[in-house]
Amino acid sequence: MDFYQPTSLDAALALLAADPEALPLAGGATLVAMMNADLVEPSALVSLRDVAELQTIEAAADGGFRIGAMISHAALADEARLGGGNEVVRQAAARIAHPQVRNIGTLGGAVAHGDPSSDLPAALVAADAAIEIAGPAARRVVAAENFFEDYLTTALKPGEMVSAITLPVQPEGAVGHYEKFARVHGGYATLSVAVVLAMAGGECSHVRVALGAAGATPVRVDAAEARLLGSVLDADAVRDAAAILAEASDPIDDVRGSAEYRLMLVPRLLGRALAAAEGGA
Amino acid sequence: MIIEEEFTVEAALGHVWNCIRDAAFVAPCVPGCQDVEDIGDGAYRAAVKVGIGPIKTVFKLDIQVSEEAPPGFARIETRGQEGTNASRLTAKSDLTLSAAGAGATKVHYRSDVQVVGRLAKFGLGIMKKKAKALGAEFAENFRAAAEAGSPAAISGG
Repeated sequence: MDFYQPTSLDAALALLAADPEALPLAGGATLVAMMNADLVEPSALVSLRDVAELQTIEAAADGGFRIGAMISHAALADEARLGGGNEVVRQAAARIAHPQVRNIGTLGGAVAHGDPSSDLPAALVAADAAIEIAGPAARRVVAAENFFEDYLTTALKPGEMVSAITLPVQPEGAVGHYEKFARVHGGYATLSVAVVLAMAGGECSHVRVALGAAGATPVRVDAAEARLLGSVLDADAVRDAAAILAEASDPIDDVRGSAEYRLMLVPRLLGRALAAAEGGA
Repeated sequence: MIIEEEFTVEAALGHVWNCIRDAAFVAPCVPGCQDVEDIGDGAYRAAVKVGIGPIKTVFKLDIQVSEEAPPGFARIETRGQEGTNASRLTAKSDLTLSAAGAGATKVHYRSDVQVVGRLAKFGLGIMKKKAKALGAEFAENFRAAAEAGSPAAISGG
């Protein structure tokens, strides 16, 4: 197996284009574990470690953010500028595994891996983030909601990689919250709920909700948000919205919980997530 | 893990049986099936490509029809391996066909699948979802093919 450590994005893309079996290596938190388990056998690794243009967090003039793919979960979790609605992404990063994993794992790597049980996908969908993709021919941008397609399957085409994530300007007064239920501290979520919520005059004026570990991709349903919008987040509204989300979910059975159990968690975690966000709003 | 599915084909029971027992007819309906060989006495060899994201492999399968009661029942035993024995698979499947009203046939299958080796490390939860999705894709392909033609009408997929 070959190993490359280019110093520019263009050089990395050229290496990936030259060998369809090569994979980009970000932090390696997941990819190296999968290689150790013999699940993936790339012909070459193209390390992105020395690609400076992937390592920055830029606050856009309009209040949004552009976060380079190689930013570690630890750096994201420590990014004090991610407040308001975008706080959901910061909180999700802070809940990933343990410090050792957060120090090596990266935003771009987690996004490209596309594991619906991991923490960032649901948070990015709730925040209405966009994924910047760099390919041999062109760069393109895909909304997080459309980026995740199936288990470990994303909109990335051969030769492409995630270059950055952009977070939008959130509505005035919005608060983000990431609620995660895991069997053990640092474990993968049995179920998680990511919300961005704004209240005006006691009523919900903006809400985006996405579930993690509830299906092949983050689960978000317009009708569930429509039920919450304009409500005072009373028990009936939360229960109805949770029922709509659970209906759209198709979780797996595994050691972290049966599908039935995960569905039972939807109304409970949604209630907690909304209450926490409202408390901060 | 148990994988159980049912679908209905708008065609007569005898026709559906002839289709489903013809390897050359079934093979193009199986997602990822690259190669199938009828070696006689109800035995077949097949190569099926499967993948979940970056995990991609080809299962080499030996399939044996161990019991048969035309035109309604077959028991099939499958053994296979991928990645030079990195994972092994065994499956016992029961296939049941029954008439569902005039000119329609209900196809039901129940498979008990065991996977050991590297792919088992990956987690059976996602594997089961993947197997169900492939099963649904096969059902749709087979239903369309069986409603459109008969084994002799198919040549090379």
